Amino acid sequence: MLEHYGTALALGIVGFLLMYAAFIIQKLVGPKNSTDVKLDTYECGEEPEGETWIQFNVRFYVIALIFIIFDIEVVFLFPWAVVFKDLGFLTFIEVFVFISILVVGLAYVWKKGDLQWVKMKLKYGTGRYSASNLLEKENLKEAA
Amino acid sequence: MITVALLILLLPLLSFAIQIFFRKFIESKNGEWISIGIQLTTLGLAFYLFAVMIGHYDPHFRIEENVTWFNLGNFSLEMGILIDNISVIMLLVVALISSLVHIYSTEYMKGDIRFSRYYGFLGIFTFSMNGIVLANNFFMIYVFWELVGLSSYLLIGHWWEKNSAADASKKAFITNRVGDIGMFMGLMIIMTVLGTLNYQGVYTGIASGEWEGGIGTLFGGANPHTLLTWAGILLFMGAVGKSAQFPLHIWLPDAMEGPTPVSALIHAATMVAAGVYLTVRIFPILTPDAMATVAFIGGVTAFYAATIAITQNDIKKVLAYSTVSQLGYMIMALGTGAYVAGFFHLITHAMFKAGLFLASGSVIHAMHHALHDIKDHDTDAQDMRNMGGLKSKMPYTYLIFIVASLSISGIPFFSGFLSKDAILAGSWAYASTAHEGWLASMHMAWILPFFGFGAAVITAFYMFRLIFMTFFGESKRPDIFEKMHESPKAMTVPLMILAALSLFFFYTIPSINPFSTHGWFSHVIENPGTVVNFGSTFNLEHFEHANHEAHMPAMILSLIVATLGIGFATLVYLLKKVSAESLASKLGVLYKGSFNKWYMDEFYINGIIRPFLKGCDAVALFDMEYYDHYLINGAGRNTKKVSSGVGVADDLIVDGAVNFSGYIFQWLGWSLKFIQTGRIQNYLIFALIGVVAVFLLNAF
Amino acid sequence: MNLSQIVQDLGFLTPEILLTGLILLAIIYDLFLTKETSIRTGYLAIAGMAIVLFSLFAQNVEASQGLFNQMVAYDGYARYFKIIITLATILVMWMSFQNDELKNRTIGEYYQLMLVLVFGMFFLVSATNMLSIYLSLEIVSIMSYLLAGYLKENLRSNESAIKYVVFGGVSSGIMLYGISLIYGLTGSLNIYEIQASLAANAAISPALLMLAFVLVFVGFGYKIAAVPFHFWTPDVYEGAPATITAFLSVAPKAAGFAVLLRFLNTTLTLSGDPNNIALESLSNLDWPTLLAGVSAITMTVGNVVALQQTNIKRMLAYSSIAHAGYMLMGVVVMHHNGVSAILYYAGIYTLMNLGAFFVAIYIKNAFNTETISDYTGLGYKAPMIGIAMAVFMFSLTGLPPTGGFVAKFYLFRGLVGVGDTFIWLAIVGLINGVVSLYYYLRVLYFMYFKEMNFPDVYHRAPLQFNILIVIIIIPLLFGWMIGDPLSTWTASATSFFVP
Repeated sequence: MLEHYGTALALGIVGFLLMYAAFIIQKLVGPKNSTDVKLDTYECGEEPEGETWIQFNVRFYVIALIFIIFDIEVVFLFPWAVVFKDLGFLTFIEVFVFISILVVGLAYVWKKGDLQWVKMKLKYGTGRYSASNLLEKENLKEAA
Repeated sequence: MITVALLILLLPLLSFAIQIFFRKFIESKNGEWISIGIQLTTLGLAFYLFAVMIGHYDPHFRIEENVTWFNLGNFSLEMGILIDNISVIMLLVVALISSLVHIYSTEYMKGDIRFSRYYGFLGIFTFSMNGIVLANNFFMIYVFWELVGLSSYLLIGHWWEKNSAADASKKAFITNRVGDIGMFMGLMIIMTVLGTLNYQGVYTGIASGEWEGGIGTLFGGANPHTLLTWAGILLFMGAVGKSAQFPLHIWLPDAMEGPTPVSALIHAATMVAAGVYLTVRIFPILTPDAMATVAFIGGVTAFYAATIAITQNDIKKVLAYSTVSQLGYMIMALGTGAYVAGFFHLITHAMFKAGLFLASGSVIHAMHHALHDIKDHDTDAQDMRNMGGLKSKMPYTYLIFIVASLSISGIPFFSGFLSKDAILAGSWAYASTAHEGWLASMHMAWILPFFGFGAAVITAFYMFRLIFMTFFGESKRPDIFEKMHESPKAMTVPLMILAALSLFFFYTIPSINPFSTHGWFSHVIENPGTVVNFGSTFNLEHFEHANHEAHMPAMILSLIVATLGIGFATLVYLLKKVSAESLASKLGVLYKGSFNKWYMDEFYINGIIRPFLKGCDAVALFDMEYYDHYLINGAGRNTKKVSSGVGVADDLIVDGAVNFSGYIFQWLGWSLKFIQTGRIQNYLIFALIGVVAVFLLNAF
Repeated sequence: MNLSQIVQDLGFLTPEILLTGLILLAIIYDLFLTKETSIRTGYLAIAGMAIVLFSLFAQNVEASQGLFNQMVAYDGYARYFKIIITLATILVMWMSFQNDELKNRTIGEYYQLMLVLVFGMFFLVSATNMLSIYLSLEIVSIMSYLLAGYLKENLRSNESAIKYVVFGGVSSGIMLYGISLIYGLTGSLNIYEIQASLAANAAISPALLMLAFVLVFVGFGYKIAAVPFHFWTPDVYEGAPATITAFLSVAPKAAGFAVLLRFLNTTLTLSGDPNNIALESLSNLDWPTLLAGVSAITMTVGNVVALQQTNIKRMLAYSSIAHAGYMLMGVVVMHHNGVSAILYYAGIYTLMNLGAFFVAIYIKNAFNTETISDYTGLGYKAPMIGIAMAVFMFSLTGLPPTGGFVAKFYLFRGLVGVGDTFIWLAIVGLINGVVSLYYYLRVLYFMYFKEMNFPDVYHRAPLQFNILIVIIIIPLLFGWMIGDPLSTWTASATSFFVP
């Protein structure tokens, strides 16, 4: 059993060596005449702007999560669709249940406003950022 | 069925909980009707059980269910429910009278300062009483027995601001405890010998001869009879206490300090009947000697209490002594082997005596209101000498009194006649079949029928004395008389129900013969005979035969004596042909003795309590002056010297060790606290070090 | 494995299916609620859990089954833990209505997440495949992270959630590595097949086997908070909403014990049949000694550090570590008695720990303090609270006449009953009992003996809370009395599925 791991290990070592061999050979034989443009970060042809360490909007993650969920849906649906004819009606119900559960998820994100990049209404409409609260703060400032 | 029984058992407890925990609500919103509703539900369920029982119409009908309460090695205690004809009938009686008393009390106790508590205590009493009835073993009955004692204590002392009420409740409780100690010893004997307390287990155990040999023969040489006799008598002691038998009867008259409905429920119809019920349950295991003891205690009580009732002036005291006397009848019946008669009298007596008490309550209630109206706070509302002529003012109460009194006096067409007659016939039969031993040698057994018939004369006499003094003649206090009026419906309707139940045919259906007990009751209740099959002379067949023969003469004789008693009372108190005062002075010592209850209380105080206290004083003196001073304190002084030396060592070594280990733990905790740095990086490092350490330690 | 088999197996999953439906229903229902009315999701959740409980009781587990190719088992053992978990969930949800921390916020998701957590635990206690064990463990963990950080504006809550995630992530990573080693050694993920392979192949190096086992145990140890994987406990318990702390300290812990015990007694024994009265560990893997050591260290560390705590939640957190140590005592016994003792302890521990937490939460709400020394005189001010706390503290210490005593008694009986191998552990356990006496009774000392004065006005807890507490206290005080029904039940619940 254990000796099978040996093969994997050998494969890993060979892969590692090959990769570094490419780098090393390139280093040895390649010409070296660099300009500013050449040294710049490649960003799809655009000129890079600002720092590398920037804060992303957390919504990107939400969108990514939703995307992945429905991506996985397809992953499950595809093989099912291929063999659907042989499996019959029962699997139809199963997949229906599966999709309904995902639809509940869709309804959830929809209702919570995560499908719109700009949310229609402020989520914390009654909290710190509510209109009335802000107005009150303005008034306090004026009074001072 | 078991569920129904459990409901009957537990519903009153619910009523108790509601009344106690929601006092404010109860007192502001007529919450007593919750309790009444619960009680009526219980009554309905009891009727259902009764209907089922009648449906079976089988003397051997029984349903039993057991659960193990706890196990301690070989010793295990069980709890269980037994439903048989006896318990079903008892349940119905308890539920019925309890319901009526609940309703009655709405008026009687109106405006009382502890109104909800009163209803709560009624609830817990009914619960405990149902527990006694439904128990299927002697241990459980004992538990509920004590609960009944407690609720009786609480209810007698309901008006505890009155010293007399507080004293009476204490007296009742302590006197009952004396009997209960005997009962407990009896329980332990049975448990030790037979290893079970279940009724059926005990019966079959004795019947199959488990008592013979082993521990059972203790104290008796080879004769297992002695210990069993003692077990029976000791168990019966519980009944002596609870059913107020001579010589532990002294608490019952004092218990009249409680509210009158309570007297009707507890001290006339149900709780005091618990003693009789217990005797019914132990009946099969009583040896002939034990039965003779039971019979004589009952007979003496019946006669003795009746003689006291003659001279009492307090309307409730008369009824109290009458109750003691009637309970004596029941006990005597069981002792003489007239099992059915004894239990029958328990039921009939419950009805008419509850009726009498509630009716007397009605009179007292009216008297109170009248006294209140004329602002007289000194006159005793219960003293019959202040009454008289109330017939016209309180017609319903009067009528009920008459019916119940005829019943208790043993006049045909009423239930009391049937049961009492059966008891008298039983005692006659017992005397006539006693052929050996001391009972036969001096014709001692004939004392029992003598007591029985004697008490019957006296009963008829004092009951009608009470009626004539209260309802006939001229009122001695016209000012009170003016203000008297009949009690409200909530009080009179229960009275009418009870009076109606004093009629004979409720107990003899389907046959309607006012002179024979033959009917459903005598069909479903059957004399179980004895299970004591060694040295026993009690023969059920012989007895039944003699009983049958004694029936006719006893009936005729009892009719004669009842008429005699009523006639004499008419002469003295209605027609006044004979002056009561001159009679009293002629009888002198006898009158005084009766009036002072034959000095029984004084005997207890001077003969037992005072000497006992003196003995205590003497022991205490010895204890303090000699034992304590020289032995204990002397030893103490010396020990102190030694111990101060030891103490130094102790401080240094033992305490030091204890404190040291304490410090170690504290220090350990204190230092370990610092591992918890709050940094997740450190946590992970520690955890990984732990993993590696665990692995290394175990793998190599 | 064919389709009809799957459908047939679904029939054994009534509670789980009901639970799934409940989760979906709760999510949909919550969409129609506003912030103020979102508490209704909680009512729905409780009602649904009651139905789930009912369906659990309705299950007939006499014939146990392996479902879905032995991914999960259907047996009395799993059902017992599911019932305990469901009961704990209902109690905690009920208490959540009264937790001030959770007032004035959108609360629907809180109950939804709890339901999913329960779903995970249901599968965890019945998992019989390393894959399903790992999967359900992760469901439980992820939901726990979310719930621990539910108080979004509270920094402590955030911090606790992050710590929990990191610690949990590392632990489950290590566990996965252990699982992969086991797979490498045996070629299977099914615990029965693993057992067969290990038992048949005694030549496997003990060190390698030990390494695999220790790595897998990291995952379980983290779930039951055994030393040295307990570090997340105090921080998470302090930061999470108090009701969630209470929940995390009982339900996932019980579930963790359930899966650990099933795994050990099935996979790492010679016979592979946990229904046997006495078991024997694999000849080349002495895990009982290892766990005995972990047990001793766990209870000692838990107790000793709890001594030093001044905050009641932290104190209870450490004491719950100590209780995990006690329960491990039952694991090392490898005897039927040990298993039933753990089941008994799990039930009683659930009640008493929840009770203690609930009282602490209530005191936080009503008197705004979590510091034990501030409890001074509380026993007189609020008699009901004081008495309840006394019962729970006595029970946690293991003093009669409470269920805690009986539970501990069974544990020790199991330990001593198998001979003198683990007498030392019993002694360590007893010493630890004495140590725990100190800090448990210290609470009562402050409540009753520090100051003795009777106030004019008593503090009255709301009826809802009193009922909840009484429901918890009654089985604690009387559950072992008449015929000891819980013990009969646990003895009958020790039936495992074996193929």
